[in-house]
Amino acid sequence: MSRAAEGVHILPYSRVVGQDDLKLALELNYVSPPIGGVLMAGARGTAKSTLVRAFALMVHEELPVTLPINATDDRVVGGWELDALMRGEPRPQPGLLEEAAEKGLLYIDEVNLLDDHLVNIILDVVSTGVLSVQREGLATAKQLSFGLVGTMNPEEGGLRPQLLDRFGLMVAASQLDTDARHRTIRTVLDFEEELTRKESVWLEQAARDDSARRDQLERARDRVPGTPIPEDVVRLCARAAERVAAVGQRGEIVATLAARALAALEGADEVVPGHLLRVLPMAFRHRRPETAHGGTFEWGPEDESRVEDLFEPA
Amino acid sequence: MPTEPPHGADMPAENVPSTEVEEPDELAVRLCHALVCAAVDPALSGVLLFDLEPQLLDPVARLFARILTGEPRSPGPPVMLSAASRDEDLWTRPVLQRGDDGLLFRMEPGPLIETDGRSGPPSLVVVPDLTRLSVAGMRAAVQLLGADVTVVEYGGLSHRARPRARWLAACRSADAGRPTGHLLDRFALRLPASGLRLPTADHLLGMLPPTWLDIARDAQDALVPTAAVSDEALDRVHELLGPESNMRRELSLARLARALATLDGEGTATSEHCAAAARLMGLAVAEGAGRAEPTGDASGSASRSPHPSNRPSEGMGARRQPGQDIPGAAETGQPLLETEPAEGVGAGRGGVQTVLATPYPEDEAEALRDFAPLRSPWQRTAGSASLLGVVIGTRRATDLSDIAHVRTVREAAVHQRIRRTKRFTVSPVDLHSHVRASSPEHMLVLLLDHTCRGGDWDWQDTLTPFLEWAYTRRGAVHIIEVGSAETGNELRAESFAARSVLDPRILPALYRPVGRASPLADGVEQAVQALRRSFRQHGNSLTEAWLVVVTDGRGNVPLRASRTGRLRSPVGTEGVEDTLKAAAGVSAMDRTRLRVAVIDAGREPYGSLPFSLAEALGGAVLEGPSTRVRTRGGGGAGER
Repeated sequence: MSRAAEGVHILPYSRVVGQDDLKLALELNYVSPPIGGVLMAGARGTAKSTLVRAFALMVHEELPVTLPINATDDRVVGGWELDALMRGEPRPQPGLLEEAAEKGLLYIDEVNLLDDHLVNIILDVVSTGVLSVQREGLATAKQLSFGLVGTMNPEEGGLRPQLLDRFGLMVAASQLDTDARHRTIRTVLDFEEELTRKESVWLEQAARDDSARRDQLERARDRVPGTPIPEDVVRLCARAAERVAAVGQRGEIVATLAARALAALEGADEVVPGHLLRVLPMAFRHRRPETAHGGTFEWGPEDESRVEDLFEPA
Repeated sequence: MPTEPPHGADMPAENVPSTEVEEPDELAVRLCHALVCAAVDPALSGVLLFDLEPQLLDPVARLFARILTGEPRSPGPPVMLSAASRDEDLWTRPVLQRGDDGLLFRMEPGPLIETDGRSGPPSLVVVPDLTRLSVAGMRAAVQLLGADVTVVEYGGLSHRARPRARWLAACRSADAGRPTGHLLDRFALRLPASGLRLPTADHLLGMLPPTWLDIARDAQDALVPTAAVSDEALDRVHELLGPESNMRRELSLARLARALATLDGEGTATSEHCAAAARLMGLAVAEGAGRAEPTGDASGSASRSPHPSNRPSEGMGARRQPGQDIPGAAETGQPLLETEPAEGVGAGRGGVQTVLATPYPEDEAEALRDFAPLRSPWQRTAGSASLLGVVIGTRRATDLSDIAHVRTVREAAVHQRIRRTKRFTVSPVDLHSHVRASSPEHMLVLLLDHTCRGGDWDWQDTLTPFLEWAYTRRGAVHIIEVGSAETGNELRAESFAARSVLDPRILPALYRPVGRASPLADGVEQAVQALRRSFRQHGNSLTEAWLVVVTDGRGNVPLRASRTGRLRSPVGTEGVEDTLKAAAGVSAMDRTRLRVAVIDAGREPYGSLPFSLAEALGGAVLEGPSTRVRTRGGGGAGER
């Protein structure tokens, strides 16, 4: 099913100013889908949602499969097409989870506001890999797999630890400095102005830049299987996880996958400690004990000091 | 002061007969211009009016509808959102139509999204009181206002489009601190509207340059060419809003300036337009800076000088037409405040300034923000059904209320062949109704003052009966902590809501290290708000709530310090007095369902403070170590 929407215009991905961490996390997740998704936390107005949509438009040329916070369960797990039913035709209507499995990604805006019964459904599916529907005359069980991409404003509350852990990477949107803010506003206004033109060199150039970036990501995706992860990097990852007292083992696995994706993205021959160090906050910030139970998501100097000696040259 | 709006067909949008108001109020002109800008640019779709007289909401809404439609009479009423608005009323609309072979049923996009993806005027959504908007309504606003795209997946409906609806909301500036900033931020256009005197719509709209309404109507059907915004203008926006402003505000002000320039037919929005946009919203503009001359830019607009500052259109971006005589022009063109750029301004001539007049009153508001206002209320127990709860399933209907249309049709579809009817038939046995998440029946609000826990006293023993009560009743728990050494801000209380006492955050909360300050007043106020919100949200389904305060009563942080984050010494007894004042809010609540206990830490001196607090709260005092109970005021004693 196409997710084109009439009259919808999203700022091109290549024109989004700043937020390098957010971009990197999305790109790593695309290059290596087993990472399992990205959670973006940040204050309001930091372009989190724009970035996710722009990224999906760049790599898939359509909007992401989106789960709104007030979706009903028939749209999430699937049901029947009402109009067809009225004509006496029993035609199943695929749910969002099924659509997400086709595209590999489910986007949840304001994920921390999602109602509990929907969180339960999603947790069931992502943990078992099976969507079992036994309701309203439907009796199906399908193997589904998709990554979760969520955006949230921590001021509005946290996430259940089980759902938090299902996001492979977590990044915090940064506040921009004055210059970056100026460039952001400049870009948004220019974009809106260009939309009113019949022909726009600005938009064409942005499309070309997006296309070039997509090609880079595709090449990196192809390179991932051939990018080795040396044993010492794996051990380093395990020690770092121990230092930050990461809850569970998913953090180590995701950190290793993300480091390999970064190496592939940079065209490196193999994963080196520097790659791991770069992705460490993304993989572990939401798996620290204090964060898992509702604490802050910040990855500060104290966290860095816990692991920095591991990465110092011998 | 405004008078009652007339209801005659000739005067659809006024609160004062036109004969009495010969020249429009400056604030009314600004409001009218703001509404036109909101019509022109979908990114300015949210208009929030502070301190608008309630009886003026309807005329303002009709004025807005007239700008959007271009018709003297709106084709339909606006969509009204209130405390009772539910998701199913907002996003979907079941439609019954008479067809050739009987009644036809289908689900269509609901009132908030029905004009998305279509030509013609957009929907108008009106929120009479933003602070009393239901959770569903607030979430809808967050999803729709200023969004690039809205996705709706509701009851068989799958909808993706750029939202077109325009929103008009009202809020008291004194309450502006209560709704989440997440919601307030979505309203791009703000206007302090205290003291507004609204003339007739004909009079107001007649003052607009003729092209304005044409541009506004054209913008409903297609993207209209907009003015460029110069870099100098963006610098001016930043300067006007200050370094602490967030990006959404800057973007909104820049868009407003652009809309004004577009309406004026200018090719470029300059710093003059930014100043005009700021004045339009009620922001103060330093006169010297406001007169900055536009610089040359790529679009070559330097030769086009914006309006001279002494013309009436200068403040509004309006262009005077040749021969057009605008009554009251001298006043409307005046800067609202000439030399004090750091302050908000009043409503201007005719306005009665009773409250802080700034388009961003939430920055200064002292009201306590609601706790997690955008989350659906947590449910724990199978309490009585509420029609406001989130839909979590369907069941066979026992009456005709709250029918689940999709499920009903599906059920009917199964039996069509057996029934052998000529047309699609829904029979009573097909009817299904929604199953909604139930509300909690019990709630424990626990206020822990860590500074009173000393020596070998383990207050968990004292608290155990209350925790057991919450556990056995499957009650929701709200923990408020003051005086912890682990807090991010020692001048403020911290709180969290838990579904039950089994929440892993509760045990650590009982044993935090003791800090230096005790913002007890802030803690009590947060407790009052948590209780008030629960009683309001859950209605009669909340059958019993306990407020338990563990303290020595020695609050040493005044409420003002908690709210502002700044402590001015000496404090004296202000912290204690503020605590007692805040506690009065509890005593005013429904005492048939709310019970209050103060657990006395038994510290000397000032051992009477817990009793004073209990009296203010209208509760009993329990002695910490021995759990002997004394009646309110400490007069009697007895075992609990």
